[in-house]
Amino acid sequence: MIRGNRIFLSCAYWAFVLYVFVPLILMVMMGFKDSKFIGFPIRSWTLDWYSGVFADAEVLSTFGYSIAIAVLSTIASVVVGTWIAVLLERSRFKGWGVMFGLTVLPALVPGIISAIAFRIYARYLGIEPGMGAIIWAHAVHNVPFVVLVVMARLSTLPKSQIEAARDLGADPLVAFLRITLPYLVPAILGASIFCLLLSFDDFVRSFFLGGYDPTLPVLIFAKLKSGMSPEINAIATVALVLTAAIGIWAERFTRRANKDTN
Amino acid sequence: MSSDASARKDPSGLAGQPGGLTAWGRLVAWGPYRALADFTTASPRRQFVILAAFPILWVLTQHLGPMLQMLRVSLTDAYPVAQGVEQSFTLDNYLRFFGDRIFWMPFFRTLAFAGVFTFCTLILTYPVAYFLARHVSRRNQMLMLLLLLVPFWVGEIVRTYAIMILLGNTGAVNLVLKWLGLIDRPIPFMYTSFSMGVGIVYLTALYMLLPLYSALEKLPKSYNEAAADLGAGAWTRFRRVTLPLTLEGISSGCTLVFLISTGFYATPVLLGGPSTTVFAETIAGFFHVAGDEWPTGAAFATIMFLAALLITGVFQRVMRGLRKGDTG
Repeated sequence: MIRGNRIFLSCAYWAFVLYVFVPLILMVMMGFKDSKFIGFPIRSWTLDWYSGVFADAEVLSTFGYSIAIAVLSTIASVVVGTWIAVLLERSRFKGWGVMFGLTVLPALVPGIISAIAFRIYARYLGIEPGMGAIIWAHAVHNVPFVVLVVMARLSTLPKSQIEAARDLGADPLVAFLRITLPYLVPAILGASIFCLLLSFDDFVRSFFLGGYDPTLPVLIFAKLKSGMSPEINAIATVALVLTAAIGIWAERFTRRANKDTN
Repeated sequence: MSSDASARKDPSGLAGQPGGLTAWGRLVAWGPYRALADFTTASPRRQFVILAAFPILWVLTQHLGPMLQMLRVSLTDAYPVAQGVEQSFTLDNYLRFFGDRIFWMPFFRTLAFAGVFTFCTLILTYPVAYFLARHVSRRNQMLMLLLLLVPFWVGEIVRTYAIMILLGNTGAVNLVLKWLGLIDRPIPFMYTSFSMGVGIVYLTALYMLLPLYSALEKLPKSYNEAAADLGAGAWTRFRRVTLPLTLEGISSGCTLVFLISTGFYATPVLLGGPSTTVFAETIAGFFHVAGDEWPTGAAFATIMFLAALLITGVFQRVMRGLRKGDTG
């Protein structure tokens, strides 16, 4: 009975692994197909689509554009998110619940509604559609994730360390910079990587707030609407390798950092 | 940057010795900094205000601001306002939704799809989360969870495209079915609610899996053993012990997945067809065609958001009731 259960559950797990991996593997394979026509079976293979991608100035500049947006929006999210996390974790004030609710709000608003709201607000603030608008929308949208990750880490910092620093004459800012901030580094790094990926992968906000230059997901979307081609697979595969590599590296890094400090 | 590096070389100086050998000590002893520090920490109240002012301002203007502005625009007759024209208050944008049945179908379809897809995600991921939390050793748990996380770092568009390749007429599924001799002609999976469902479940599964996993992981194994000792079979143990005690994880996972599912735009455009138009496409239409339709788009987005909040609110209340009923 128990054994049967175990076998069923393990089958469910591995079936799920197949479900999440097989589409991506097929997508990657198709980028090596020696034909313009998307579809199976693949009879002959080529690297031409990749050499095409790396020779295409428009695609390369789109990669650069997306990465720049991701980095700049992440810096803003991390600074603001850490600040809010320190406030929420350190003090219980009247209206704490409201503040927390407002903090996580951007993460709970469904994608299209969030994009529309940002679009309207950008116009209200006089931000033209384009790079600045996308950076701003990504930064606001990603703040809640930084807050949650940093708060979790901050709650495990022994209060006695701050008190010791204060007793030794450190003012709050010095105590923050020399005790709290170093302790938060793994969380901040983890949150940064998460923000980078969220921003790099985001479609809906980039689509509604973008100007004439597309970000990478917007470019892939536009190409897909005009027809599938192995060229898209090659672009998507480069993006996939980039994000997966960053993700895996971050996972290992944050785990090691957590082990070191605990 | 450089002061930070030099401070790290000197582990002894916390607040800096008199005479200021370390960079930190020099900073603290520096007149303007002293004045600033004394001013900001003069009273706990002032210290709190300085810490809290920026975050409060940020969430009000950046988090709440866009939503309020959307609401405001939805109640006006024209936006952006042309020069010399007075903007006036109106409910027409909302009435337009209730007055025209053309908008109802995509609206209710979106909510129904989101509900069905959420349920499918739950059924699909519960056994996976259960297996990870219950039948896998601690060491392997992290690795096997990580294995599932990797694909979820890949973006929405790339994964949607992957589903297109999987389900297309010359896609992998049709090829395998043909090889097995089950079909002669490819089954048209694409541009249906089925392909849309496969895609959306694919995109949201993780948001269900993680809350379920953490709920199951917290549940002590001894509860199940006690129930088994008292003679409960596997099904009874699941129904009377495991399920009620993981209702909280189910509730938060479903809420998250439902909200996310109602917000997809690109995935329905790429994977769905004319018979599966969702409300996100209706809303987007008002922003692409002409600028003067913005108020209507804003009103429709507000209606969508309120409906999604209402449904998840009722759902959470029901789940809370169930939880109380079972433990009380």
